[in-house]
Amino acid sequence: MASTMRNAYTAVIARGDWWVEPLQTEPYEVAWAGEALFFIHVLQTRCEPGDDPVGAVARVQISPDGLHWVDEGSSMRVPSQTGALAFVRVREFGGWLRLAVEVASGADMQVVATLALKA
Amino acid sequence: MTIHTAAHPTHVDPRLSRYDPLTRVIYFDDFDCGLSGWTTLVGNYEDSIDTMTRSYARHMQPMLSQITHWDSGTHGAFDGTYALKIATRAVPGERNTAIKRVTFRKASKIRVETYFAFKPEANELKLSDLDVRSVGLLFDLQDGQRRVMPHLRYLNALDGQRMNRWQFKQRSTPFRAIGSRSETVTHDHLSPADWEDVPGAAQKLCYNEIPTKINWHYLRFDFDLATMRWLEFQCNDQTFACPDVQSISIAAMPNLSCMLNLVFFCESDTAKRSFFYLDSVLLSGEF
Repeated sequence: MASTMRNAYTAVIARGDWWVEPLQTEPYEVAWAGEALFFIHVLQTRCEPGDDPVGAVARVQISPDGLHWVDEGSSMRVPSQTGALAFVRVREFGGWLRLAVEVASGADMQVVATLALKA
Repeated sequence: MTIHTAAHPTHVDPRLSRYDPLTRVIYFDDFDCGLSGWTTLVGNYEDSIDTMTRSYARHMQPMLSQITHWDSGTHGAFDGTYALKIATRAVPGERNTAIKRVTFRKASKIRVETYFAFKPEANELKLSDLDVRSVGLLFDLQDGQRRVMPHLRYLNALDGQRMNRWQFKQRSTPFRAIGSRSETVTHDHLSPADWEDVPGAAQKLCYNEIPTKINWHYLRFDFDLATMRWLEFQCNDQTFACPDVQSISIAAMPNLSCMLNLVFFCESDTAKRSFFYLDSVLLSGEF
């Protein structure tokens, strides 16, 4: 990067998507960045009052080529509660990042997920 | 014999030497320096994000790519390491966009230039040259009377058939109101319908021989903001005069005065991600 100011960029990787079944977010190229924060903001759920679902678990995955993926080791638990906000920090991740998400039964959630990158 | 040794003015900045800007550079974005204001084109909404047109809701953020492949490592950009990358999802007909939003201070001739390449995701050991449906650009412009949207795409393949031609569109889908307050409307000007061939549309590009070999191409598109007319465009060694090529044109809308938005887009023809790479983008004007 030419500038002495640290470059930064936030990518929205899920925009109002309903997370119901296991999924992976689209690959995002991050070779220029040295640190990253994933956020997941729960817009709404289908839970009834009194329900206490487990929610979702999102695992950070890395890749050598954008084709083959392996767990990086970091993960976050996402409560199935309207307004919930979860995050996970990662560093030294190479060229690609994505999330692998598993949603507990009955914990369907509509989310905005973002990836905040900094050089 | 005299050998001229004085530097040509454009050699002062070698990055500009391969471009032909008009008199005023409006912006020159070299993606080795960051995203430079390029973001994704989301659809309009009112009260709920669920009111967004689905095709726009699925657009994703552009990214900076070093163009790394499983077989040959990092390809890099035309110069430096990074290119802007617009990636579709792995769904037939899927598209994605990158947009930069500015306004104009004079209704002059404008010129956009870029060095670009496109490839499908290299997840098969095949030529894969018919997986990318199209790559293209559009302006979203407004003067005192009209909102005008010139669209240009290189149609590489359609439903598995090789097309290799340039197209434009002069029609869009009908507008629809969003939400209950009627503050916002939307139309899907990038829908698959209504594309037409430009005159002398055919051109073969340098796809190369496997999905992981990239060749950069030059593209120049000239438009006149004073008349809201196409002038011409050029890709590599072919120039296309466009005296009769039209744009989507509608009545001026609120809140869009002097809008000068530039969008690059990519469409996939198969269930494979399509990638549109831009090394750099130069927008210039004659003022």
